[in-house]
Amino acid sequence: MTDGTPPDQAEREGRGAKHFIKSPLTRFILAAIAWLPVTFGSWYLLGPVLLWPVRLLVQLICRIGLSDVVRGVEVGGSSIAFLTTLKPGEGMGAGFISVDVNMLVYAFGMPLFAALTIAAREEKWWRTLAIGYAVMVPFVAWGVLADFLKGIALVAPAAVASQTGFSGLQREMIAFAYQFGSLILPAVVPAVLWVLLHRAFLERLRRRAG
Amino acid sequence: MLRFFLLFVVLLAVLFGLELTPWVQDWFVIPWTNALARISTWIVTLFDGNVVATGKVMRSNTNGFAVSIEAGCNGVEATLVLLAAMLAFPAPWKHKAVGLVIGILAVQLLNILRVISLFYLGQWNYDVFEWAHLYVWQALIMLDVLVVWLIWVRRVPRTDDSRGPPSAPTALAAG
Repeated sequence: MTDGTPPDQAEREGRGAKHFIKSPLTRFILAAIAWLPVTFGSWYLLGPVLLWPVRLLVQLICRIGLSDVVRGVEVGGSSIAFLTTLKPGEGMGAGFISVDVNMLVYAFGMPLFAALTIAAREEKWWRTLAIGYAVMVPFVAWGVLADFLKGIALVAPAAVASQTGFSGLQREMIAFAYQFGSLILPAVVPAVLWVLLHRAFLERLRRRAG
Repeated sequence: MLRFFLLFVVLLAVLFGLELTPWVQDWFVIPWTNALARISTWIVTLFDGNVVATGKVMRSNTNGFAVSIEAGCNGVEATLVLLAAMLAFPAPWKHKAVGLVIGILAVQLLNILRVISLFYLGQWNYDVFEWAHLYVWQALIMLDVLVVWLIWVRRVPRTDDSRGPPSAPTALAAG
């Protein structure tokens, strides 16, 4: 114990020739890769349950800020359907437009975060998983809402998009929110969260290297 | 840690904003995406001659299946994340430069593997293709970025500044 690491910690990291792979970083990477199929499978099966808070948050935001455009929200499995007040336009039939969004597309960071957290084998990892999950929920909701808004403001035919009443600047903001919410946040949030919640683990990795 | 985190977020937002500008799209993103399609196609033609690249599209002449490399699949965003993470971390510029060159290469090599694997998965089973495309490869590319960054961070010489970023509270670190 020359580096001040507590004995239980050292044991968790497998020091003492019990592990074939000596580098803790290599062990961590291999463990994370090994856990990914498990966490992805669990995430997919439990998708409707895991994404239930996302649905609640999306519903709340729609009720508060988008009530003039959204009549209601329906969930089928891991997909969410936004029932809008928008009409298809003349000659396109009656009724209202609905927009479906696959919530899983914005939630793949959950199994990634879980695999990284379990692979790090830190104390109270269940608590870390719960914190990470709770923090990720609003970001998933961001992606889902931005996807919906993109659908009605940018992708829909002009006859539909014009009913939203969004200004040019608002449409630009929706475009940026969608791009950021789909290309950056789903992947970056779990990684950043993991780093923030595993500072002690990372410090030990650095100390071993140095 | 706070300094690193804030700097990372600001850099990432700025880099991503720049990426979306027409100038960067025209002069960097689109040419790179087209080059990625050509590189992937060239590799594939080493064992499958019936594949051609047109712009950002890889197409099989055998069955007509094609994949179009869109934003998010060209590795540019993953590269920006790595760039922001390495620039935000307190390290000598020489280390940052070496880390970026090797890191970007590692990310792009894995991304080529992603494009090629998706090209064949799509021809085999569309459901598996969708799963791999929408979920699995996204996570793997980010894992690659994180692993590259972790390896790099371990090799950065320790200074008073660089003790901060992934550091733990003293009590935790010292045990």
